[in-house]
Amino acid sequence: MHVLSLILIIIASWFFTGIVIRTKSIFSGRKGPGIMQPMKDIIRSLRKGSVYSSTSSFIFQLAPTVYFSTVLMAILFIPFGNHAGVLSFNGDFVFFAYALALGKFFMIIAALDTGSSFEGMGASREALYSMLVEPAFFILMGSFSLLTGYTSFAGIFGSLHFGSYISYGIGALASFVFVTIALIENSRVPVDDPKTHLELTMIHEVMILDNSGFDLGLILYATNLKFAMYGAIIANFFLTPGYEWYYSIPIFVVVQMVFAMIVGIIESFSARFRMNHNPQFILMFTSISLLIFLGVLLMMGKII
Amino acid sequence: MTNILLITYTISLIYIAMANRMLTYIRIIAFQGLLLFGIAFVELIEINLLNLVFVLLETIIIKAVAIPYFLKYILDRNRITREAEPYVSNFVSVVVVTLIVLGSFFLANSVQDTSVRKIFFIVALSALFTGLYIIITRRKILTHVMGFMIIENGVFVLSLAVGSEMPMLVNTGILLDIFVSVILLGIFADKIGDVFEEQDVEQLKNLKD
Repeated sequence: MHVLSLILIIIASWFFTGIVIRTKSIFSGRKGPGIMQPMKDIIRSLRKGSVYSSTSSFIFQLAPTVYFSTVLMAILFIPFGNHAGVLSFNGDFVFFAYALALGKFFMIIAALDTGSSFEGMGASREALYSMLVEPAFFILMGSFSLLTGYTSFAGIFGSLHFGSYISYGIGALASFVFVTIALIENSRVPVDDPKTHLELTMIHEVMILDNSGFDLGLILYATNLKFAMYGAIIANFFLTPGYEWYYSIPIFVVVQMVFAMIVGIIESFSARFRMNHNPQFILMFTSISLLIFLGVLLMMGKII
Repeated sequence: MTNILLITYTISLIYIAMANRMLTYIRIIAFQGLLLFGIAFVELIEINLLNLVFVLLETIIIKAVAIPYFLKYILDRNRITREAEPYVSNFVSVVVVTLIVLGSFFLANSVQDTSVRKIFFIVALSALFTGLYIIITRRKILTHVMGFMIIENGVFVLSLAVGSEMPMLVNTGILLDIFVSVILLGIFADKIGDVFEEQDVEQLKNLKD
């Protein structure tokens, strides 16, 4: 049963971006491409070869593979309800965060390696926003490990149970913070627009301008995987332990679909922020997760 | 239930620190009125019916409808610019408000008094200091009124904590206070709006006798 979450996340990643694009096209009054179209695009790029600039070194060729494999490695830690993930040890959420950060680090130095001025700018922004979003994740997971007494993903989500009103409030707030962390980490709309055509306003897209073919396919598929991974973390808040698989798998599917639709709705109805408004927006989620931490302290009766 | 509403109230304080437009401020104040209505409903359900109806009507009509509507009327009538134009950047404001919440948490934790519940005390203190901070860092007179509203809301939260014991007096005082202050400042702002083009506090320095 340990591979269940891995299999479900990979299946969810095939449909995720398709659902987002379909939601956007329905809200703008179009029929839109098929659900599988982003996946077909990725497969098409995976069949192609890559072109490398003569000024770039081996780091540029290494980075997409490292990025993809770190995302895959992070997925191995995600539990499914009371079933642990493929790998699980104490304090694995720290490893999870820094595995993702390693992949991001390689993308950043690969972007700097190309020598393009645009890519360096995008890399700097990506580094800043990841730095600002990191305390939110750690405070959130720290308060949940304080609440449950475990320090691994499997332990935390295996023993998390909601009883009182304040715990439901905290669960809802935590899902909200995770949705926005996923949006920021994947460079989606309130922070960055994946459809933008101006290099000056891009964040993630400008970093991968020089990647082509197989490498580009890997990076795009890693984005889908990351979305499905955060969707699985959010789904875990709703999979209270004790549910049988015939309840929990439909719950997982519904949560992933609702998450994808929320992303689509946000992208349909809101515009990208101005670049200098992003840091305060991201910092707000650190403040909200601090409030969750204080709420957990209140629940535990740690404050006299 | 009260805890959820109080946490939402604190989030609205953080949101007001990063809000950009005057209309957003007014909406947040109306939303805070609604939250206070919910808190008052849950907390004061045991006091007698007439009193309860009075307090609830006060929060829902005055705090959530009348004052935001009045502020919006002033905003429209005086053609005030839509941006809030604070002295410091919003990033600093978010950091400061977070520090205020943390600081009032530790302050409330060090007070050895069991008569008031801790979470009310924390939220009321952070609302007080956030209101003061808004008054200090914002440029317009209208935002000063809004900062004062936030302070009043904080006092109201604190009075709700002991509301079951002495309901009437505190609420009447607060109601009167808000009403008089908003009307006075509204007239005041109106006059200044007629004389000067912009409602900037900086322009008070130009006054001479």
